[in-house]
Amino acid sequence: MNVTEKKWQDWPTHQVITPKRIFFILVAFILLSISAHNTEIDKAAVDTSKAFLSAVGMGDSQVLDGAVRFVSKAFPIQISERTEISRIEGLDRADLPWFAYVEIGELREYDALDEKWTIEQTEYLVEPLGYLKKVIIKMWETIEMGFWGTLISVMISLPLGVLATKNYAPHRLVYTGARFWLSFHRAMPELIIALFLVLMYGFGPVAGVLALAIHTSGVLGKFFADEIENAPNGPQLALKSAGTSSLKVLRYAVLPHVLPAWIAYVQYIFERNIRTATVLGIVGAGGIGMELKGRWDLFDYDHVSTILLVIFITVLILEFGSQKLRTKTL
Amino acid sequence: MLVFDSVSRQYKDGTIAVNNVSLQIPQGEFCVLLGPSGAGKSTLMNMINGVVAPTSGSVAFCGEIITKSNMRQFQRQVGMIHQQLHLIPRLSVLHNVLSGLLPERGFWRSFFKFFSKEDQIKAFTLLHEVGLEAKHLQRRASDLSGGQQQRVAIARAFVSDPKVVLADEPVASLDPTMSRSVLNSLKSAAKHRDASVVCTLHQLEYALEFADRIVALRAGRVFFDGSPKDLDLQTQHAIYSLTQIEEKERVGKRGNEVAV
Repeated sequence: MNVTEKKWQDWPTHQVITPKRIFFILVAFILLSISAHNTEIDKAAVDTSKAFLSAVGMGDSQVLDGAVRFVSKAFPIQISERTEISRIEGLDRADLPWFAYVEIGELREYDALDEKWTIEQTEYLVEPLGYLKKVIIKMWETIEMGFWGTLISVMISLPLGVLATKNYAPHRLVYTGARFWLSFHRAMPELIIALFLVLMYGFGPVAGVLALAIHTSGVLGKFFADEIENAPNGPQLALKSAGTSSLKVLRYAVLPHVLPAWIAYVQYIFERNIRTATVLGIVGAGGIGMELKGRWDLFDYDHVSTILLVIFITVLILEFGSQKLRTKTL
Repeated sequence: MLVFDSVSRQYKDGTIAVNNVSLQIPQGEFCVLLGPSGAGKSTLMNMINGVVAPTSGSVAFCGEIITKSNMRQFQRQVGMIHQQLHLIPRLSVLHNVLSGLLPERGFWRSFFKFFSKEDQIKAFTLLHEVGLEAKHLQRRASDLSGGQQQRVAIARAFVSDPKVVLADEPVASLDPTMSRSVLNSLKSAAKHRDASVVCTLHQLEYALEFADRIVALRAGRVFFDGSPKDLDLQTQHAIYSLTQIEEKERVGKRGNEVAV
């Protein structure tokens, strides 16, 4: 009895701190440190703390300076448009655009030879909501880009999606080919496709639309195909055993089943495409991003903040709208 | 019209599902296949449908032997009612019925759900015959009760004017009252069109009530073949006990934690 008692007291207890664990934690720490240094996480930490110190009045900070440079120019946001009247051809002074008025301003120019400032009086046409209007028109163009990108994407991915299903592909090779093609489309980011397409089609929304269509057709096609493959087999078999051709089976036994899910996917892709379309302009592929990039490069941060505000509000509205639509259709 | 000539079917794992069965089913007959599961009912049915080919013997339809090459053509003359209904849940009742016409209609017409007035009136007639009303037409099939769904399935099976309708356990999931009225609809729809019905059941009492002819199977062989009137009590008992055994096994399988 005594012997057995001794035995279970000698059973190994559970150790929390073991050499093995200490070693693993050490190795993980070293690896993370190297990676953090590569990605300048350490610099970010130092700069951010400097920014906080600078905010309370201790020392200078590059980060804070940058932020202040933007914020001081960004507000108030710029929603009016000022144009020199001498540059507008055929302006009828009796019939100005709505709410527009003429302002006299000074145009200062520095003459480097005389080392003197020349001051010239010029007239400006001011449209109080002109720039906002321009941005909203650009935003609408962006939404249209998202719409057409989605539409073309659906047109590409529908046939490809059907071919990429095991049960409806005419041959196993076709199936593999379609799947491969779809993942190829998926693997290329929009911005990179847009770079190429701008080279081919020139600056403008065409490149953006096609870039969106190509990338998202890879995503949609995969979703479509997976839905078809997961559709219940019974109704399909019932029609097939009556001698119905597979395209008709697809139309009658599969489509009604998968349609709600497909609509949800397309809605999501549409929403996502609009968000992406706002960025595509940066590489010259049309939409509001082009205006954003232009104003950014001119340091017109007050214009930039107008653009950002419009994008933000549009995305909010879209998200709200699509949520309502989803609860209605599903 | 339908002739099985010493048909056998052996599956790859060696089980002989159908063993040397010869049957003749004339036009317009309501023939019930009775027997426990594994007796070869479904295999026999699937041979008419072309899903399963006999390993020996032949099945002939209107004097022509069914082969792989002319199977499609026969499939179009065979209506099918499945055990698990297999209606298309999200499609309207009307289009579920019309989907029985798909093999004979062109692709683009069927793609846009464009069916002629005659086709639709045909569907209406059938739906009315099986006891459904105009208010059901646009409902989704999944919104109907089990009995109503089975009626839609009957209407779909008959809409293409088939010569034979195969019904695989059409009343398996229905209560007795519903079962009787569904079988009634099936029988009268077949009578009006002079179509034969091959129907598998496992309740003897329904078979006695509705069948023109009962074929009882056991282990792939025909065990009784004749009209319900010829079925003497002794055979009835034999069939009854067969189906009862199966029923017990089913219940046992379902609740085996308690039973075992």
